[in-house]
Amino acid sequence: MPVAALPVDVLLKLLPMKLGAKQLVRHLEQLGCDVEGYTTVGRYRCESCGTVLESTSSEQSPSVCESCGCDFRAETEKISQLDDVEVIRVELLSVRPDLFDPGGLARALRGYLGVQTGLAKYDMSEAKCSVQVDKSTRREKSRRPFIACAIVRGIELDETLIKIVMKLQENLHWALGRDRKHASIGVYDLDKLREGRFSYRTVGPSELSFVPLGMDEQEAANEMTPRQILQRHPKGAAFAHLLAGFDRYPLLADEQAVVMSMPPIINSQATRVRKETKNFFVDVTGTGQRVVNRALNIMVCDLMELCPEAVVEKVLIEYADGEITTPDLQPQQMSLDAAAAAKLIGVELSTGQVAQLLEKMGHGAEDSGGGKLKVSVPAYRNDILHERDLTEDVAIAYGYENIEPSLVKTMTVGQELAIEAARDIARQTLIGLGCYEVMTLPMTSAESAYEKLGLAQTQEYVEVENPISVAQTMLRTSLLGGLLETLSLNTHHDMPQQIFEVGRVTLLDKKSQTGASEYERVAVALTGSEAGFAQGRSIAESLAGQFKSQLTAEPLDNGLFTPGRGAKLLLAQADGKQKEIGRLGEIHPQVLERFKLSHSTVVFELDLEVLAKRLEAEP
Amino acid sequence: MSKILSQVQCRLMEALGASEQALEVRAAAQRLGLNQSPVAAAAVELAEEGLVEIKQEPYEEYSLGRKAQWDRQKGLPEAKLIEALAKAGGEAQIKELSEHCGLSGQEVGSSVRFLELKGWAERTAALLKLTEAGREAIGSKSADEQLLAVLSQAGRAMTDEELKAKGLDLAQAVRLLKPRGGWLSIKQRSRRMLSLSKAGTKALAEGLSYQEEINQLTPELLTEGKWRDVKIRPYDVSLPAARIQPGKGHPFARMLGQVRRVFLEMGFTQMSSSLVESSFWDFDALFQPQDHPARDMQDTFYVRRPSQSKLPDKQLVQRVKEVHENGGQTGSLGWQYKWDVDLAKKAVLRTHTTATTIRALAENPKGPRKVFGIGPVFRRETVDYKHLPVFHQVDGIIVDDSGSLASLLGTLDAFYRKMGFEKFQFRPAFFPYTEPSVEVFVWNEKHTDWMEMGGAGIFRTEVTEPLGCIEPVLAWGLGLERLAMFRLGLNDIRELFYAHLDWLEETPLCL
Repeated sequence: MPVAALPVDVLLKLLPMKLGAKQLVRHLEQLGCDVEGYTTVGRYRCESCGTVLESTSSEQSPSVCESCGCDFRAETEKISQLDDVEVIRVELLSVRPDLFDPGGLARALRGYLGVQTGLAKYDMSEAKCSVQVDKSTRREKSRRPFIACAIVRGIELDETLIKIVMKLQENLHWALGRDRKHASIGVYDLDKLREGRFSYRTVGPSELSFVPLGMDEQEAANEMTPRQILQRHPKGAAFAHLLAGFDRYPLLADEQAVVMSMPPIINSQATRVRKETKNFFVDVTGTGQRVVNRALNIMVCDLMELCPEAVVEKVLIEYADGEITTPDLQPQQMSLDAAAAAKLIGVELSTGQVAQLLEKMGHGAEDSGGGKLKVSVPAYRNDILHERDLTEDVAIAYGYENIEPSLVKTMTVGQELAIEAARDIARQTLIGLGCYEVMTLPMTSAESAYEKLGLAQTQEYVEVENPISVAQTMLRTSLLGGLLETLSLNTHHDMPQQIFEVGRVTLLDKKSQTGASEYERVAVALTGSEAGFAQGRSIAESLAGQFKSQLTAEPLDNGLFTPGRGAKLLLAQADGKQKEIGRLGEIHPQVLERFKLSHSTVVFELDLEVLAKRLEAEP
Repeated sequence: MSKILSQVQCRLMEALGASEQALEVRAAAQRLGLNQSPVAAAAVELAEEGLVEIKQEPYEEYSLGRKAQWDRQKGLPEAKLIEALAKAGGEAQIKELSEHCGLSGQEVGSSVRFLELKGWAERTAALLKLTEAGREAIGSKSADEQLLAVLSQAGRAMTDEELKAKGLDLAQAVRLLKPRGGWLSIKQRSRRMLSLSKAGTKALAEGLSYQEEINQLTPELLTEGKWRDVKIRPYDVSLPAARIQPGKGHPFARMLGQVRRVFLEMGFTQMSSSLVESSFWDFDALFQPQDHPARDMQDTFYVRRPSQSKLPDKQLVQRVKEVHENGGQTGSLGWQYKWDVDLAKKAVLRTHTTATTIRALAENPKGPRKVFGIGPVFRRETVDYKHLPVFHQVDGIIVDDSGSLASLLGTLDAFYRKMGFEKFQFRPAFFPYTEPSVEVFVWNEKHTDWMEMGGAGIFRTEVTEPLGCIEPVLAWGLGLERLAMFRLGLNDIRELFYAHLDWLEETPLCL
């Protein structure tokens, strides 16, 4: 999960009471935020594009601009240092995007601490501007059909606030937009635009050109067509996959055809927000009306928390088949059974108390009779899908630390897996014989599992589609490779060495529901100048004996064992037939060499599940 | 000559007399055809009598440390760094070096100190500059690399004399490797060299005599009563005994056993399920939307063979589909997207043992029930001191009409207390499949901080109703490696799965 670094002074200014660092962390944690701690970050401004950059250490300045790609090592005059800021680092909860910025957090804290409870009121003025949505945004090859917009007037910006708004936008892209796929947000300087009827339409790849964000407007050479942006601009290349297969691209512009942005890729440099910007135009485009509304609601509500003096103005969205007005801050109406909520939390609460707790979490709550509450969920909350989500809010407001832990009173009888008895017998026997238990990873590679052991790939194994390392590309089909790896890590240790592992191996199995089946095995490796077949056989026999089983052996020739010193281990079945349940042998010198082992080594591996079945047989 | 010597003492003196040089205990034992311990004991006794002189000769024994073995193929990062620096024209920003040499940023960062120590590079702020010495070092092996190579080649511990005989600059190698920690292990050992004292030489020249003295009672002495005629040699009971170790279970396996016992004691039934799992059971049945970041290729191992798993009965699949799309019958809004059955069939290496408990719940959704499962789970991580692609979890559920957040907290409380923890905390958390949700933290005295242990909660209605379950289901999934590292005092998670036998030997069973 990404981490947000929120300026502490901005957050504290929005709270009516004084809070110490420790108290702040504790309250945030009790609200469900994962706080990593406080740090100081260094801040710089790219003089080329105006972006404020952050660096975790104030000594180390960024070497390139993350926005325009300006190389500060070549152009040292293009970067200037700003004041350091103290930040609180909070892990972002994708389900609570309303807590991504100091404004939203302050709102939640004021409620939780009982200073300002109930539904927050945000005043909006009626729509004066509109956005005309062209039908082509619904075509399959230029599809991004939904949009929601707002105008925010009277904002006072500084470097810190610009950064907060930019980060909120970025983090909403991650949490709600799934990296801009479902929703992407644009913020523009309204004063650079003609107010009136904006247009959201699509353009051909080379139909027009504009200067994308992060490039100097004065230079005509910086004008790029949509196609050029996708090929050459760093942001264009990074998000080009979102428009793959499109023959026309989404475009937002004003009445005078001043390009605002090419969603979901990039804004124009001409409309970018700077310190002097007083009025915002905000748009969210995406694949669904619900998601773009949510993202816009959070942007707008949290902007109003950050700049209480600002005024929001609605925007009329003219779709081909009807009109809507955004933002829509109507609360979502839900009903909650107060007694059921209290029972699920496991505390005694009256209907009135439940209502109060909901109000601490920013909901509106009215008693609608019969123990039911009519709950108004604020428009910035994205996570309330069900009555149960309200129950959780009640529990958080009540305080997890105030809940008295108890146990369910119902009596149940415990039962372990049948295989556990066999595992215990195997471990007890081998430990008694002086072996050390080891645990190795159940992932390996075909090279380690077969080639290194001199074995042919005769088994069908489970293969990973997206391995992260060449050493872990499949699930193990035997425990022997892991044991030999372990010995090879211990060549410096005194000889002799005796180790074992009890664990699962996995093989493909078309008949099983998942497509693979697992088998419990036990394997032993003995190394030292005296280690040999006979010693291995003795231990294998002794182990089988604990399961009332007697093993017989038949010659087995494979690359793993020294010729003439390898065997299949067989077990007589009830019907008199011999079933192969494992293998035993002295490791081939060639294999020992590959593992850098310098002593004779004997190993065996047995199917523990077959042995376990013997425990079920009659005594 | 009035001393009464034992047979071993006599023979040892004779052997020492016959040797021109002082003999090490091992060599003397070899000559006498005896084990080392009676010879060592005889030497100590003779030294007390003033007949033998024992000289301790210290020496050092060098072997590869654990990190050197884990990173054996990789070697020391500096060699790659100077090559990369040279390629970059002699200087580069530290931050960017990692792109040039295929090392992680963290590895580069921690190697800068050693580049400076070797005089191969100079650092000014974030800039690293190759020195003349560094340029010359390219392609050749520095003292530390040579030492590692020799030890790796030998595959055993070596003494300082042996290493010096190979022409290694041992002092320089140690200076460079010691601050790295974990790469080189040096043990101080000593040999006991035995020789006759003047008095001993004189006594030997005069001729030794000994009375029959026995060390070990034999059946013959006992059955025939001869023990009455011999002297049983007294021991120096204060001498230390040889150190031996019992065979042992792996500390982590023992801890997993304890976790299992704790839940059995609390009346839970153990279940297990496959490591290969369908996305349906790993994610969809748990109401994880299909575009949830946890389902990314970035975090989850998908499986090429078998690429698909079979789904359970159609009605259940349909109910899960509806609950994702619009909440189905649960009164929920759902996630409001189009659910894709093919994504649900994709096989993964299970990302949590909740796949086990949700299957158990689907099999029998009627309470009261208590179920748990322990086992390995997979996340797409590269191996380093903090991460492995595999770790272990214990998942549990309680299906009970009276189940509540309070009884969930009580159950977790009981579990951690039984595991020996006293200070822990529950905080609100957010998971896609539980509501309310809680995160468990355990106090780590060493880092004076709370350590995150795992998540819990009450299964969402969207999870339980499609399975036909109407009672509250308390659920948790707790990581176990951290608990083990905490208890065993480990800083490196690899210790658990790339075990060193000395660690297994040294770790007492009481931990």
